[in-house]
Amino acid sequence: MSAWEPVLSRNFGRTEARTLEGYRRGGGYEGLQRALGMEPEEVIEEVKTSGLRGRGGAGFPAGLKWSFIPKATDKRKFLVCNADESEPGTFKDRFLMENDPHQLIEGCAICCYAVGASTCYIYIRGEYGEPANILEQAIREAYEAGVLGERSLGKGPRIDIFVHRGAGAYICGEETGMLESLEGKRGQPRVKPPFPAVVGAFAAPTVINNVETLCNLPHILARGAAWFRGIGTDERNTGPKLYCLSGHVARPGVYEHPIGVSLEQLLDGAGGMFRGRQLKAYIPGGASAALLRADEARIPMDFDNLAKAGSMLGSAAVIVMDESTCLVRAVRRLAHFFEHESCGQCTPCREGTHWSAMILDRIEAGRGSAGDADLLVRVTRNMSGTALCALADAAVGPVRSLVTRFRDEVDAHVAGGACPLPYRPLFTAEAS
Amino acid sequence: MPKVVIDGRTVEVEAGTNLIDAGQRVGVQIPHYCYHPRLSVVGQCRMCLVKIEGAPKLQTACTTQVMKDGMVVKVDDEEVKAAQEGMMEFLLINHPLDCPICDQAGECGLQDYSFKHGQAFSRFEYAEKRIYPGRERIPLGPSVVLNMNRCIQCTRCVRFTEEVSGGGELGFFQRGARAEIGVFPGKELAGPLATCVVDICPVGALTSREFRFAERVWYLDRKPSLCTGCDVGCNVTIEHRKGAIRRYKPRFNPAVNDYWMCDYGRGTFRRYQELERLSTPTLRGAQGEPRPTGWREAIEALEQGLQNAAGTPIAVLASGSLTTEEAFVLARWADRLQTPHRATWREDGVERRIPNPNGGIRGSETEPNRRGCELAGLVPGPEGASAADLMEGDAAARCGFLLVADGDFGAAAHDPEVVERLRGADFMAVIGWAATPLARVADVALPVTTHAEREGTFVNSASRLQRFERAFPPPTGVRPTLELLIELLARRDAQWAGLTAPDVFGRMAQTLPALAGRTYRGIPAHGIELESGEDG
Repeated sequence: MSAWEPVLSRNFGRTEARTLEGYRRGGGYEGLQRALGMEPEEVIEEVKTSGLRGRGGAGFPAGLKWSFIPKATDKRKFLVCNADESEPGTFKDRFLMENDPHQLIEGCAICCYAVGASTCYIYIRGEYGEPANILEQAIREAYEAGVLGERSLGKGPRIDIFVHRGAGAYICGEETGMLESLEGKRGQPRVKPPFPAVVGAFAAPTVINNVETLCNLPHILARGAAWFRGIGTDERNTGPKLYCLSGHVARPGVYEHPIGVSLEQLLDGAGGMFRGRQLKAYIPGGASAALLRADEARIPMDFDNLAKAGSMLGSAAVIVMDESTCLVRAVRRLAHFFEHESCGQCTPCREGTHWSAMILDRIEAGRGSAGDADLLVRVTRNMSGTALCALADAAVGPVRSLVTRFRDEVDAHVAGGACPLPYRPLFTAEAS
Repeated sequence: MPKVVIDGRTVEVEAGTNLIDAGQRVGVQIPHYCYHPRLSVVGQCRMCLVKIEGAPKLQTACTTQVMKDGMVVKVDDEEVKAAQEGMMEFLLINHPLDCPICDQAGECGLQDYSFKHGQAFSRFEYAEKRIYPGRERIPLGPSVVLNMNRCIQCTRCVRFTEEVSGGGELGFFQRGARAEIGVFPGKELAGPLATCVVDICPVGALTSREFRFAERVWYLDRKPSLCTGCDVGCNVTIEHRKGAIRRYKPRFNPAVNDYWMCDYGRGTFRRYQELERLSTPTLRGAQGEPRPTGWREAIEALEQGLQNAAGTPIAVLASGSLTTEEAFVLARWADRLQTPHRATWREDGVERRIPNPNGGIRGSETEPNRRGCELAGLVPGPEGASAADLMEGDAAARCGFLLVADGDFGAAAHDPEVVERLRGADFMAVIGWAATPLARVADVALPVTTHAEREGTFVNSASRLQRFERAFPPPTGVRPTLELLIELLARRDAQWAGLTAPDVFGRMAQTLPALAGRTYRGIPAHGIELESGEDG
């Protein structure tokens, strides 16, 4: 790991990088410069070759997504940058926007050029007031310097970027829910197809990419696809990756690694477990990912290896839980999150998230019955793959893994009529 | 056109047809709640999940369109059944299951699909049911009441107000399991089509203030009929219990009212309950009061009145509530009396509009069949008195004999001035179902059927001829209008004796070019467009 030079986070902590001058000094806007010298198709090809997959959660190949935008259309096209980072445990996009706003602006500009969009909306979650201000400031600077506006860098097409602040709903991070919200409607997902690439924002072809995905573009363009492909586990999992490490860890935070680092390696770089405690379980990819056991801590955390293990990389929000954690309580908390955030339009999600939260309530309170674990399996099965958007499947992730991987802990709650773990506050007098 | 295979049955459909509609064509019912052919497709209820060959997971039939050949769909499938069972369970866990006191019971989408696709037991703890306290009977407007506890959040009603009625009064508020339907602040659901949301609500969440708790629906008998509220001619189902009409429900006709009807029309049957019925023939007594008599005496009195009027003008005044067949017989009767004074009263009222796929239909007359009456020949001959001459002028006073049918011809029949003018005739006979002020002062009043008690055809504002059925028999002492008119005509021309509505229609088809080649039984379900001569 020592040889690893951070890419995306290289400007973290370098406050001067927030200014256009400072960003340029670190090699900024070279990627855009190079992209504008290429044909848009060549840029798309370059990104395809790099193997960059979406960093928002689904891991869809970015270049492939761009190529779905119809070429022959007289409709205006849009880029929407998904900065509605609301997956519990995820805070990488916030770091990217706060520390290095021009990296995102450059990425947006490259994407706009590649797909032929002249307008980009950065849909940022409502709670991100400070990052929004920093972005606005950077965008103003970029306009003044001619990076954005009439002719990008003096030779490119017109590119405009607008920051749109959301009103604080998890579902608006779902791409079509975001488009509805952007259009001023109630934020709830649309039926797909048609996909946003064909009918997106304001019924026009639209590319939607996550902040981190776009932040990779300047580097792919500046250093080349081959360099990018050289990073990571294999040709399907390439590039640098930000991991949001939280929970019972000595030094929680955002850590950059080549994609495919294991939890063990990640913890090594973060001072290990909190007070040297024992690892019990971890969530590798945000609240919607299945929990993994301590004996699975060596799985390379990339898209394919985690999928093979029955979980997912998601937003790479790694939540670590030590042996003092009551997993029923932890998962119950997540279930309540999803119950609260379900938009309510479709049946399996609206009713299923509510029901599973209530079952977990009674198990955690020691009022569960012997059939409840099986009931959770049945309820989550009926929610899987039947809903309108991915939220129901996301809600299933942690609940299903609790009853499959940690069944004995659920049974202990039911059998004992109470939580078997003694309550242990995170901070006690002896230590602080 | 592309072909699709659904449960082994191949059907060819227009490109873009969704799988629910395609399935219907080959008799495969795909259960659904949120889908409605006239509303935007939202894929919310997830009841219509089906298996499509090549798709990684189940797909909603409502959002899947047949675009090209080769799609193979399975509905009769274990995985699909499991999903349907799962959705039914989800929909029922928070549903009150208070069917015994729910107005929707008997015509409830939840009951029907539970029976067909659900399971017989519940795994839900009753005490944990989500309820919306204080939201059990929320008036959304003057005609519709919401019980949020019964709602399954299909949002049909919301989309109806946005997309069909255009008022946009309803919205989907809150989120997740707390999501609810409601009116936007400061608004109420009050448009002319408001009660349509009750029809499209698949459950007992929305009920009509008029009908709620009036009757258990399984006691109701149903017959296809037409609304008589105006000349749009909305297709309705008359729902009655032993001859007492409880409600009208719109009946699908894409060429007329589509799936809808207006609130005014829904209430028009109340006239049959509010006005006093003419239940026996009456003669005019010594003091001018109506005196009950028998049918034979009444008809003899009418014939006597005609004889006495020999040499004086004889007039026939019809209202647009006669069927086309009745009007035709009445016109032939006037032929035999060789009188040019035959008119159909036209009254314009509020303009009513009903949306349909062809841009909607409107009507502004108060009676359903003025056009049919005129088509059948109830128009003034040369120098004949018009309806206005009779009702607003002094033409009636010159008549030796005046026949009015039907006596309840709108507001004018209750206007004392009009009654007095018509009464100016030496002899006035009134045929009607109601004891209107006009009928009360008639020399002879003959009680006949309401439209619910007879059959026939009406011609609507778009010149569409539509047939309706008799919903229930008339009360004792009352005769079917057509039968009575046939008897009067047969006294002068025996070849008409004993004819029924289909026979009369046959004769009309021989005389009227617009109906050439038509038969009564051959009138298509959606009617005949007379002017262009195309079937609907």
